[in-house]
Amino acid sequence: MTNLSIYTMLRRTLILISSFFFFTICLRAQLPKYTISGYVKDAASGEILIGANVYVKETMNGAQTNQYGYYSLTVEKGTYTFVVSYMGFNEHADTIVLNQNKKINVAMTEKVITKREVVINGVKENNNTTSTDMGKVAMDIEKIKTLPAFMGEVDVMKTIQLTPGVQNAGEGNSSFYVRGGGPDQNLILLDDAIVYNASHLFGFFSVFNSDAVKNIELTKAGMPANYGGRLASVLDISMKEGNNQKMQVDGGVGVISSRLTVQGPIKKDTSSFIISARRTYIDLFIKPFVKKSSNFYGTSYYFYDLNGKVNYRLSDKDHVFLSGYFGRDIFSMNSRDLDFKNSISWGNATGSFRWNHVFGPKLFLNTSLNYSNYKFDFDAQQSEYDIHLFSGITDYTAKSDFTLFPNQKHLIKFGATYTYHTFMPNNASAKTSGVSLDLGSVVKLYSHDAAAYINDDFDLSKKIKISGGLRYTFFEPVGPFDRYIENATGQIIDTIHYSKLQKITMYNHVEPRLSVRYELNKLSSLKASYTQNYQYVHLASVTAVSLPTDIWFPSTEIVKPQFGTQYALGYFRNFRSNMFESSVEVYYKDMENQIEFKEGKNPEDNIKNNTDNNFTFGKGWSYGSEFYLNKRTGKWTGWVGYTLSYTKEKFPEINMGKWFWAKYDRRHDVSVVVSYELNEKWTFSAIWVYATGNAMTLEIGQYVLEGNIVGDYGPKNTFRMPAYHRMDLSATYTGKKHKKYSSSWNFSLYNVYSRANPYYIYFETTGNITDYNITTQAKQVSLFPILPSATWNFKF
Amino acid sequence: MKIKNKISGILAMTALVVLISSCEKDIKIDIPKTTDKVVIEGSIDLNNYSIVSVTHNLPYFGTFDSSMIVNLFIQNAVVIVSDGASFDTLKKTYNLNSYPYIFYKGTKIKGESGKTYSLTVNAEGKTFTALTTIPPNVAIDSLWFKLEPNQDSLGYVWAKFTDTTPTGNYYRVFTKRQTKDKAFAPMLFSSVYSDVFFNGETFTFTIERGETFYDPSVNDPTLGYFKLGDTILIKACTIDRISYNFWRSAEANMYSGGDPFMNPAQVATNIEGGGLGGWSGYGSEYYTVIAK
Repeated sequence: MTNLSIYTMLRRTLILISSFFFFTICLRAQLPKYTISGYVKDAASGEILIGANVYVKETMNGAQTNQYGYYSLTVEKGTYTFVVSYMGFNEHADTIVLNQNKKINVAMTEKVITKREVVINGVKENNNTTSTDMGKVAMDIEKIKTLPAFMGEVDVMKTIQLTPGVQNAGEGNSSFYVRGGGPDQNLILLDDAIVYNASHLFGFFSVFNSDAVKNIELTKAGMPANYGGRLASVLDISMKEGNNQKMQVDGGVGVISSRLTVQGPIKKDTSSFIISARRTYIDLFIKPFVKKSSNFYGTSYYFYDLNGKVNYRLSDKDHVFLSGYFGRDIFSMNSRDLDFKNSISWGNATGSFRWNHVFGPKLFLNTSLNYSNYKFDFDAQQSEYDIHLFSGITDYTAKSDFTLFPNQKHLIKFGATYTYHTFMPNNASAKTSGVSLDLGSVVKLYSHDAAAYINDDFDLSKKIKISGGLRYTFFEPVGPFDRYIENATGQIIDTIHYSKLQKITMYNHVEPRLSVRYELNKLSSLKASYTQNYQYVHLASVTAVSLPTDIWFPSTEIVKPQFGTQYALGYFRNFRSNMFESSVEVYYKDMENQIEFKEGKNPEDNIKNNTDNNFTFGKGWSYGSEFYLNKRTGKWTGWVGYTLSYTKEKFPEINMGKWFWAKYDRRHDVSVVVSYELNEKWTFSAIWVYATGNAMTLEIGQYVLEGNIVGDYGPKNTFRMPAYHRMDLSATYTGKKHKKYSSSWNFSLYNVYSRANPYYIYFETTGNITDYNITTQAKQVSLFPILPSATWNFKF
Repeated sequence: MKIKNKISGILAMTALVVLISSCEKDIKIDIPKTTDKVVIEGSIDLNNYSIVSVTHNLPYFGTFDSSMIVNLFIQNAVVIVSDGASFDTLKKTYNLNSYPYIFYKGTKIKGESGKTYSLTVNAEGKTFTALTTIPPNVAIDSLWFKLEPNQDSLGYVWAKFTDTTPTGNYYRVFTKRQTKDKAFAPMLFSSVYSDVFFNGETFTFTIERGETFYDPSVNDPTLGYFKLGDTILIKACTIDRISYNFWRSAEANMYSGGDPFMNPAQVATNIEGGGLGGWSGYGSEYYTVIAK
């Protein structure tokens, strides 16, 4: 798209927003209006409820609580029935006489009997047809806990991947793909702090401990302007605040891991804390069985997570939160035969300090200071060699987000954010017989990253609702930095030195966002959205699978920011008084400035060179349609999702400049999730997934060099792995609720029909050319056959 | 930097070792038939005549017996090497003891330090060309054999080496056990080095035994080792940057076998005209080490 048309579009969007804004504010001045505002929370735990519906029955004017449980509703003077509803909770209804602004904090009580009639979308019954949100998925944790769990570990990320448009990359891949976007194009936020690598053990487990998570929301289209920095999606995860009514202990014991969460009031109704920990212990089980004399004695693996949060309500207007996450995967390996010792650790650390302030009934502010760190460490010793590799990223962020509720027709969000990044891509140090090898000094890249935005969600008419916004983004890499200049053959001929904080280059852009809903009738609506995003961080991966070694890299004067445009159109319809919801969405997406390593280049080629000198740049595009049918209530619940999509890439220096299928191109992707609640005690669930195999580059021919077999690779990504499909089953038994404690069992069966899904395919050549006899055989490696597991969960 | 290349592989092993169950099976896959290509593998050593083999690529995946292997060799090629001043038309030669069984060998031009050589091959109706240089040779300071800890009779050759400044030196190392091996074989897994890691430094490094044909299905506990009593010949060469890139990518390809943890390594050939393979000049030095 040309600059001209961007600005034209921008101007139009601006005009649209401002004109409607004034139009609706000015043209209505009849009865005086008053505002009802406050927080909605769970009476039992004091946890705030996100997305609760607040409305007055007489006019059906309503609002939803925001991410911090706050709502604001402005209506004309009068007497109303004020209603608050939230799935799984008893409806709160109250008669109010509104002749002045009112502050009403509502404590909701849980429905006891139909507790697990809870649906995956824990939101307003017909929210999917009435909001401007497209491609939005919200998950209910309690529901997720009844689904089959891999090795008994309940996983929110895995469940997200069961919805249309969101693809798992297959077993052993640590990320997810949204609408053809790469794994780095998902913004993953935990209490406002960015999580750079959301998985443990190559994606078999996510870093989010389900006991500490309160709310999960994924946006894959029509991203509102308050989010940015990624092309494909936002996964926004809020941690629980901690029970401020009474002490509570939850936990679970599973086959490979255990969890424990302690929460309780520091000062009842005012302040509470939550601490949650999780650790796998497969290493502890295996240890006794590995003999000291074994070649692999000393090899082990485990991961752990710690989540903690405290909050303090200073007054009705001010509420502060301090939360943190720390997790590590730790692997160590010994091989006596090879005289090889190795340890690898990686993980995230995040911290957030947040301050919620209510300026008045119509203005809400969240200010936060965030810290985020991802680190990868590798140590190896073999005979006289000693090598240490490390990479990582550290962010310090400050941001303020305002929510303005000017009147019933508008919901305006505006704010600004600033981040200081430090990237450490693939550093190494090595020694041989105690002598250090010169691998260059530690490379760090620094950058300023800032944004400001405004977004208005407003009713244009009864039928048309619009969410329009603008986001301004700014990115500036700064020194100290050395730029190595290569000649045509790749030899370094010059170095440019930048001193501390010296500007290397600067990017700034304006990103328009627009979503429109047209209500066809009470049960159905049409929606359309247009989104532009710039992304200044990139994940460079050389391998066919994503690994913790993949490195995060900032935009530099060579690496231009990624730029994405998405057009989406959807039809949403609910049936049987919202028992069923369904949708069909189509999208087209364009992605500029995508990065890949040049053919044959590897991350370690950055020694005494810049990593980005080894990158090559191209574009990608993706289009597809998603079909979704969800049965939300009743004894049988569940959904079917189907995605048909096409994702292509084109790089001048790869595949001789011809386009190729992206490795995560998926023609077909099917997810079926079914739950049956037999009675209060037993719930049964089943999952079935099917996905077209990943595209990969395979040898199409071979030849002999110095007597060894060399592969001749075919055109990029022209081979398809066999399709991935799998069925999981689970049964959840909920024990009798005692006064003091309750417990439940989850029995899961992973890969019921033991499908050998391909993890990777390779060729093995055996025999010997000097014996005039060689054979090449294709081999497929698969990870998991049928795997049973059991987990015992408790609460007291 | 062999260890470094293995990292990703080790990470993969994490998944495989730690998680109880993984399985591997033979599969049949349909691969589009490859086009016929000419493979040229040539070298010119310091003070030696050039040697060039010209072969077909393997037409399909599967089992090859002796007659098929012999048929890979193109026997009617015209191979000419030039140093810019004179031309050497190579003569077809047979050696059925070691690969390549059939090759073309020079009779006029011997490799000289610092010179650039061009190669022209006419085969299958096509003309292929390539250029290489023999960089000035550099001597190794000293070499010795050392038993590995935990091993009774197995060990590596150790070498003390001083790199010359400035940067831009590339090396390749071959080994041969005098009685056991028929020919020099490049050091196992990774035989080429760039001085980007050790420019101008003096350091020691291990030389692992090269294998003429590496068979991953054979579990050889002596792989890479020399044995007490071996008489070991070491050939250490300087090579140019193009040869370095060629052999580095070729070795990455040979030992990865489609490993998903590596960037699929298309070999960086220096053969122009649509051929595969490479043409390398070697500034070689020879040493003998007795394993004792």
